Amino acid sequence: MKKPILETRHVSKRFDMTQALDDVSLTLFPGEIHALVGENGAGKSTLIKIMTGIHRPDRGEILLDGQQVQIHNSQEAQAHGVAAIYQEPMVFPDLNVAENIFISHRDRGPFMRWGKMYQDAGAILAKLDVALDVRMPARGLTLAAQQAVEIAKAISLEVRVLIMDEPTASLSAHEVAQLFKLVRSLRSQGVSILFIGHRLEEVLEIAERVTVLRDGKLISSKPRSEVTSERVIRDMVGRQIDDFFAKGEAERGPLLMSVRGLSKEFAFSDINFDVYQGEVLGFAGLIGSRRTDVGLALFGVEPADSGEMIFEGKEQRVRSPEQALQLGIAYVTEDRRQLGLTMPMSIVANISLPTLRRYLTPLGLIKERAESATAEEYRQRLSIQTPSVRVEVDKLSGGNQQKVLLGKWLNAQPKLFILDEPTRGIDVGAKAEVHHMISDLAAQGLGVILISSDLPEVLAMSDRILVMREGRQMGIFSREEATEESIMTAAMGQNQMATEVQP
Amino acid sequence: MSRSTESLPGGQSPLLGVWERLRSWEGLLLVLLFVVIIVNSLQAPAYLSVGNQVNLFILSIEKIIVALVMTFIIINAEIDLSVASMMGLSACTLGWLHEQGAPIWIALLIGLSVGVIGGAFNSFWIAIVGLPSLVVTLAMLIGYRGLARVLLEDRSIGEFPQWFDNLGQQPLIGPFPLALIIFFLLLIVAVIILQYSGFGRYVYVIGNNREVARYSGVKVRRAKMILFITSSTIAALAGLLFAARLGAVRGDIGLGFELDIITMVLLGGVSIFGGSGSIFGVLLSILIILNLRNGMSLANITGHVQTGVIGVLLILSVLVPNLANEVRAILNRRRRIGGPQDTTA
Repeated sequence: MKKPILETRHVSKRFDMTQALDDVSLTLFPGEIHALVGENGAGKSTLIKIMTGIHRPDRGEILLDGQQVQIHNSQEAQAHGVAAIYQEPMVFPDLNVAENIFISHRDRGPFMRWGKMYQDAGAILAKLDVALDVRMPARGLTLAAQQAVEIAKAISLEVRVLIMDEPTASLSAHEVAQLFKLVRSLRSQGVSILFIGHRLEEVLEIAERVTVLRDGKLISSKPRSEVTSERVIRDMVGRQIDDFFAKGEAERGPLLMSVRGLSKEFAFSDINFDVYQGEVLGFAGLIGSRRTDVGLALFGVEPADSGEMIFEGKEQRVRSPEQALQLGIAYVTEDRRQLGLTMPMSIVANISLPTLRRYLTPLGLIKERAESATAEEYRQRLSIQTPSVRVEVDKLSGGNQQKVLLGKWLNAQPKLFILDEPTRGIDVGAKAEVHHMISDLAAQGLGVILISSDLPEVLAMSDRILVMREGRQMGIFSREEATEESIMTAAMGQNQMATEVQP
Repeated sequence: MSRSTESLPGGQSPLLGVWERLRSWEGLLLVLLFVVIIVNSLQAPAYLSVGNQVNLFILSIEKIIVALVMTFIIINAEIDLSVASMMGLSACTLGWLHEQGAPIWIALLIGLSVGVIGGAFNSFWIAIVGLPSLVVTLAMLIGYRGLARVLLEDRSIGEFPQWFDNLGQQPLIGPFPLALIIFFLLLIVAVIILQYSGFGRYVYVIGNNREVARYSGVKVRRAKMILFITSSTIAALAGLLFAARLGAVRGDIGLGFELDIITMVLLGGVSIFGGSGSIFGVLLSILIILNLRNGMSLANITGHVQTGVIGVLLILSVLVPNLANEVRAILNRRRRIGGPQDTTA
């Protein structure tokens, strides 16, 4: 048995009223890929922050090579060989790859030795089997390449424990495969990896040991061979849940919208589809497939260059979101924090924003009572957990923020609801609620376009699935035709199995 | 940005959370104002007389009128540096037309129209073309001032009709001259629009995050056009009032006022990054600046030192809320065994 490299023993941490960690003991061995999973708020982030010295535990101890240590900040953690990389790689876009790799090295004298730096950077990348020009500026690197730079940076610091916090969240399937290759090559060099992931399939693919946290407590820690995905989910949520909620059968109503030959330069070309009332049309594809651009074009944020759109029997040219809203099209953005909600403002102000005109007196003053009543209605209907609807949105959890965002657009009473990654980054419970809501909306006769990178979600929720790849439509699959394999095959562009254009 | 969490978020009734407000930056300003008033009235018994208070307002009335609109602009995460030059341009247009023999009321109308046209010009570049307002209005700070100087060169134009001078210098209703009455009316309108109207809500939302506003179907360009046209028009009006008060105009009239105006707004707790602040805070900051300057004059402190003190206040307005947060965090840490505030757990 190898000796453990990093251990936490009986670590507890409390923030105000929340017990973030409660008596957590975790052991990392050299050359091990250890997965840490749990719902949002289970305590994963807190545990990482304690390991990297950002927080100090209230109780319990941290051991490195069997020695008790105090880690006060991330520099000290790095000196101990513990480093973390996060979901969004932190590279400096104007520096080149080599400079980014050696950004934390301060012990190389007063002058840059460019030659040596390029050579060393090249050597590290070669060791990782990554083909990147070390002289290339980091601007314009793909997310996966940026992550490779981050990993190279960690290696240059001679890390022994690398913590990866949801590194795959923004990567496409192909990039995830590349990343996993990197992770395995690190492991073979004796580095111990703590991998935090939201996508269970990935976690189970890469991990050798799986530890589940729930409400700050360690629920289980087992070798990969002893766990199944059902088991892990059960540990995460503490109850038996259906793997995925499937959309109920809804009567397909009349034609709502037809799109023919929709194109936009440098984004997408020749997109053709129909949406019917009561139907959920899934949009599947990898990152970079330009599904979001199609959604933005339909909503008028970035209008298409050419092609026609017939909404409720009339040809329409949507040039702005105001116009789309008037037609009855709502678009729920994937980027809640930057594009969806004004974080420092109240739930009320956020929900009423697209429809503020409804809450104005003839003089243009806001009818505060009516406005609050609406927010109160959505708080109950979507069970948004908050002490009051006047609370600022940034004080809510991710799942509740997502519900506010959905409430904001439900209140616009759209006929066509475009949902872009509606369940990204929210916990299992909130996810199920969102799925129920989508199903209800379809049952009420709305048309829904569901853009999602979560393949099981698209499969379970959609009546038909449109697959895109690099701005081109690869086909539309009926529920019977759609399987993970058929969708992925189309999304990767190997061959086109399904009917090219909707009959 | 730290102040943004302190001051009144838009979309919240100003009547709600009065207590919250007292603990915030506005509360601090209120305390400061009381201290200034008490110290001043101990120094000089005549200080609190209506005459002195009106006079103290009148000396800066043009700036504080423009500060009301500047509050909207800065909450909207923009800036208008051209206001003082526009004051100069409208006043000089008035002077030049008067010199050419035009009737004064036509000169007034044209002076005001210069403001509307200038505002439309600014907002074309800012709202339609999408250039940063800092650059556009900096260029116009130079441009409008240049035009003003071209019109009058180094002449000073005076000898306006008596009724025009009286309008600027004599009380109109009770002890209040026209400019002060205009200020009070604009103040009420500004509070209603910013704090209670749909347009005011849009001003906050766009200032917080203009992309969210755009994605929500808010007419962002239209809002910005309205703001910049209003800003220039009110600046032109202030320039005309200034001309009436001084009874004469020159090319350098109102030179450098834009920085005093922006100081009033920022000291009032409006975030330079946009999205937060209130008219109430700006009003307090105006009252403090006026009373502090008046008090220092009473104590024979020179104007330059006064300006220095205002500068220190402005720095404190950024520093104090930050320090308060730090102190609160330390106290929390002591009180509980828990660490610093963290909501990301």
